[in-house]
Amino acid sequence: MAVRALWIISHEKGDNASVRFTRRFATVEHRAKGLAGSSYVAVPEDASVLQLLLTEMGLSDSDKSYVALRDDCLHRQRSPALELHVDGPGKGILWPVLAISHGPLTLVCLSLVDAPAEPRPPLASLLSVSQGLTLLAGLQTFLLGSGGKPDNEVLASRLAALPSVLLQVCPLGTPLDVPLSGPPATSAVPTPAGNQKQPAWKTGLHRGRAAVNVALKETVRSMQYGDRSRQDLWDVYGTVTCKCDVEGILPNVTMTLTLPPNGSPLQDILVHPCVSSLDSCILSASSVDHCDGSAFSGPYKFPFSPPLEPFRLCSYTSQVPVPPILGSYQLREEENQLRVSVNLKLHESVKNSFEYCEAHLPFFNRDQMGVVDVKVSSGQTDVSKEKNLLPENFNPKSTSYGIRLELLRFPLG
Amino acid sequence: MAANWAERISTFSRSPSAFLSRTTAEGFLAELLRELRDDRASYSVKVLLLSPLCEHPTLLCPSDSVGDETALELMSVLDQCPPKSAQFRCHLLLALTTVLICTDCVSVRSRASQDFLDLLLRLAQDTGDLQGDGALRSLRATACDCLRELEACSPGLLSQRLELLGGLRQRETTRLHQAYAGLHTLVLRNAVYRLTQDAGAGAEHLKALLGGNTSVAWEAELDSGPLCDKDPSAILSSLILGPMGTVPTLQTGPDCKELRSVLSSLLEESYLLTPLCQAALLHRLTEVVAMVPGVPPAVFRAQLLRLLGTSECAFTDSLFSAEDEAFVLQRLVVLSQHPLLSAPDKLFYMDCLLHFPENRPIGETLPVLLTPRLASALAPTVFNDGATALARLNLLSLVYLEEAEDGEGEESKGLAFLYEHLASLLRVVANGGGREIVVAFFRAAFLFLLHFSHVERYRRRLTEELCTLYLRHAHLAPHVVNLADRAQDKLAESGWAVAFLRALQGAVIDAPLVSRDLRWHLKALARVAEEGEIRQEGTVGFLSGVIAPSPSSLCAAGDWRLGNGVLGVCRRLLVHPSLDALLLPLADVLLHLARHYGDADIRDHARLYYALLTTLSREKLAGVLAQGSAEGGRQVAKRSLSCIMAESEGLASTLTVHRTEGAIFELIEARSEFPREEASDPRQIEASPTEAGAALEEYRAQFLVPGFASEITLTYRLTHVVSDPRFDRLFSVRLHFGLTDDHYEELGDVSVPCLMRGRPPPEVRLRLKPRRPFPTTLHASAIFTTQDGLTWLTVLPHVRVAFRQAFAPLPAPPAWGSGGRRSLFEALWEEMGAGSEEEPADCAASLFCCRLPDGALAALVEEHFAPFLISEPSEVEEVKVLFFLPPRSHVLLKIRPGDPVHFDVAADNWQLLRHLNAYLLTITSSQEDT
Repeated sequence: MAVRALWIISHEKGDNASVRFTRRFATVEHRAKGLAGSSYVAVPEDASVLQLLLTEMGLSDSDKSYVALRDDCLHRQRSPALELHVDGPGKGILWPVLAISHGPLTLVCLSLVDAPAEPRPPLASLLSVSQGLTLLAGLQTFLLGSGGKPDNEVLASRLAALPSVLLQVCPLGTPLDVPLSGPPATSAVPTPAGNQKQPAWKTGLHRGRAAVNVALKETVRSMQYGDRSRQDLWDVYGTVTCKCDVEGILPNVTMTLTLPPNGSPLQDILVHPCVSSLDSCILSASSVDHCDGSAFSGPYKFPFSPPLEPFRLCSYTSQVPVPPILGSYQLREEENQLRVSVNLKLHESVKNSFEYCEAHLPFFNRDQMGVVDVKVSSGQTDVSKEKNLLPENFNPKSTSYGIRLELLRFPLG
Repeated sequence: MAANWAERISTFSRSPSAFLSRTTAEGFLAELLRELRDDRASYSVKVLLLSPLCEHPTLLCPSDSVGDETALELMSVLDQCPPKSAQFRCHLLLALTTVLICTDCVSVRSRASQDFLDLLLRLAQDTGDLQGDGALRSLRATACDCLRELEACSPGLLSQRLELLGGLRQRETTRLHQAYAGLHTLVLRNAVYRLTQDAGAGAEHLKALLGGNTSVAWEAELDSGPLCDKDPSAILSSLILGPMGTVPTLQTGPDCKELRSVLSSLLEESYLLTPLCQAALLHRLTEVVAMVPGVPPAVFRAQLLRLLGTSECAFTDSLFSAEDEAFVLQRLVVLSQHPLLSAPDKLFYMDCLLHFPENRPIGETLPVLLTPRLASALAPTVFNDGATALARLNLLSLVYLEEAEDGEGEESKGLAFLYEHLASLLRVVANGGGREIVVAFFRAAFLFLLHFSHVERYRRRLTEELCTLYLRHAHLAPHVVNLADRAQDKLAESGWAVAFLRALQGAVIDAPLVSRDLRWHLKALARVAEEGEIRQEGTVGFLSGVIAPSPSSLCAAGDWRLGNGVLGVCRRLLVHPSLDALLLPLADVLLHLARHYGDADIRDHARLYYALLTTLSREKLAGVLAQGSAEGGRQVAKRSLSCIMAESEGLASTLTVHRTEGAIFELIEARSEFPREEASDPRQIEASPTEAGAALEEYRAQFLVPGFASEITLTYRLTHVVSDPRFDRLFSVRLHFGLTDDHYEELGDVSVPCLMRGRPPPEVRLRLKPRRPFPTTLHASAIFTTQDGLTWLTVLPHVRVAFRQAFAPLPAPPAWGSGGRRSLFEALWEEMGAGSEEEPADCAASLFCCRLPDGALAALVEEHFAPFLISEPSEVEEVKVLFFLPPRSHVLLKIRPGDPVHFDVAADNWQLLRHLNAYLLTITSSQEDT
């Protein structure tokens, strides 16, 4: 139920690695010693932990094509719980080490195993593993923001705030909560004394006008081959995010989502823990269950009592018959330059109700484009050649079929 | 100073051992505590100062007595801390909890831990802050956290407070109820566990426990102590894990209203807890319900229905119908591939699928309800990251393995799909994929072989495609060899590895040689040559071709590495079972190398191999090459000093300095022998001055010579600590010493030629050059060689230099007799002001009294002071003793017998008095005992 130690390391694909933050929970270590008995393996010092972690994650010695310790094909990398093979005095295997990475930052913790070490217990029965993963994900959101990449100063200040954050969310190694990301709600006031208990996930009470903001974000991922012999692939998933300003300690809010006409049913619905009950039809609509022909198509009701901060009410996947935009690009070498041609087209069956459309063509590890010579078949475009991105804003409303643009780019000299 | 502390603390936490090697734990702890008490230090720095105690308490407090003292110090800091620095107070509570738990003060119920427990309970009940600011609340929450940790580490500690804690939880309406709920549930769980261990316990006991009207008085709890099971880890372990039936149970009958009402109240309010705390609460309550069969698991139903909609999942037994299980399983499959979950989460859910509770005793197998159709959602694709693709491949392999077994004969589509996945990975590698994809492919290939090496069709195809891949990308040789090694270890009976290596040999030999691939080919062929079952004519033919004279001949270029590669293959061929058939061509190859190779080292080795091959019998050849027993057809090399090594085999372990796991030997103090004062020869004319002033002058003059009497020599014996036969005979022991303070000059290394068990321990003389003659501790380490030629580094137990070890006899001029010494003693005594009112700077006089039994004084003087005596042994009225402490300190004693015995002390460095006092106390008390 607890973590023995926590590390935050930063590295650039395995190089320039350093430990940015460590916390060892001595009382949990004390329990680990009691539980493991003679098979107890102590946690080595940070420098060794860092090296072992990089090896385990396949990031050490990035200049060598084969390192026996790192690349052995017997290695069980398919589990979220890593093993650290501690060498030297007190050698043994530290397990389960959990790690999540985003960009240059990797968050790592070592969970307590409150079970006999042999045979190794399944992860599902170790509460400390799921708790550790949740804690790490929460800390990652706190450090990096919900999606962005903070600059070094912001990151450093958030790292510096970690000791007091951990005092709140993980005192003595027991994860209790995830840190609040973003500033605390401003309109919150302390709870008045009363009989109704305040939820632990609610930092205060809202006073003032009631308002509920809902944002819906849907993503389509598509892999288009431009080849009749191969089937194109795509999937759709979305999230509904809420910010509720409602008075009361435990106000009841119900949100109902309905599909547009001919909309595809929602599947694989995950809801926020504050949702109090769910219809079983909503729960059992799943993409993996092919047998159920009559899919539930709403309305989707979510009764909940909201926390103060913005939260993800639900997330879902869906299956649509066609991808909304068909796109392809071609890269041709012509004499001493490369020609990129991009072709974007709305699918015939998709109604054109877009406000704008932006296309990015990242060229990694290259200088700026030498020449941008754009020929657009229709619509208006706006091309930026900075940062090697080519965002094109065009108004698809002006055309029902899409655009074609051609760009020229000099290869590197 | 603050910045300095931040830096020091971060240096400490980066590497405590390196930090403590420059100082001592006692010293650092004392500094930390001093700074914590210092009012001038800011609270943010003080929070920082607590972190070494929170993270490495046992390094700083090695014993429970130190832990107890430290805790008392910290509590006094807490007392003096103003309420408004709440953050610091919270950190102090955490540090106190950590120190007390980790130094075992809690488990032995030390005084400080009792006080601290009372303090925490007081804080937890202090609800006077209802209208107050938020700061006090967090102190209350932290107190609950600390209580929970104490209970977690000493289960049963708070069992008698169950009712109190339940009441606190129920009354609390602020967010703090979560802290109380966590504490209450844990105490409840441990209390019920404790009842299950009591044979006579039943429903009544449970009721009494929950009602708080227990007959056991509070005082009695002190004696009962926390649970002392035969296996103390049992209660700490989760009960959810063990196979059903091993959970200890409490027979209560169906009626346990009180427990049910507590459970339902906890469950009802679980909605108000954060997801992490809800999960912990459910986990604990599941354990309680498992222990009390009177409560049906159905109490969880309502909460589980609510929770299954979220991504938090909990498993319990005997609660679900078959449909429920199918639903949970489907949910797990959904979660395992949900695009909005992170990769580690998805891997976790996939792991849950493989360990679905129905399979608990069996291990990693699939749940019955997981159909191939359901599992097809988890088919691996080339777009998955490495770990996910491998996890999916593993899962689907298990699915299709079952399918293949069921539908014998008919071709499995699933298997074809998996092979196609592997083949597409292989194509990516063949098209020059990066390092990660290469590693992922070889792992996938191994996984595929692990499950399907018995399917003839695919194993043949994989062999062929791997050979083609290898010929295109010979630099993959280490991966290929590793795959063969692992397949042989794990799948020896399938024979895939040997078949593959044979095919690889054929591919290498038949393909046109590209010179840049040669070193990889040699590596691969060397591995092939380890297989006794594979004929090696082709390999020898390949070697002859490689070294044959040609315009770009290998021999002419004389590349040392390639030559070594060729020799590496030859060396394995020399011990190959079919050597007889290879004799002539191999001899030709070696002879050609010996004559024509462009590198002298390679020529020499080739000549040696040639000589061995042509003159030795097979058995001797095998012996010389130190070939171990053939293991499963593959020959395993054993390392020994006389073995002839090719390339760098085994060289790494000889070149590495190994670390011993514990201390191998230690330094034990040998009694220092000071040269006894020669009885002054009456015939010799005494050259000593009789006048005190002159004596002092002559004595002082000696110190003008640099380095005069500036050293003390300590004698130790180097003695074995452990009886490990590996370390019975040690050679070239080089001892290295490190200082922990700046009282002494750096020490040089000391060499000991050998250390053998059973022989008298060798003597080690340490020459210490004091700057200040204070007691100190030395770090000691040693490098030595064992009989098998390996070099080891070991850390010795610390060497403590006691105050008395800094004593040296008076360095009087050699010509002096006892008269001169007496004069000097008197002169020094006068000068140190022991006789007069005013004492010069630094000098000090003192008096030490103690009671000694009759005759004990004489024994004491004889035992401890003999080398330092100034008065004649026959003079008993006033014994005069002079300790000289290099470089130039003196301690003078005039001892007058009586009751009590008076020790008049004079010293020219007042800082020595503290140590002298401790020393006199030790020796006189030991004398009292005897």
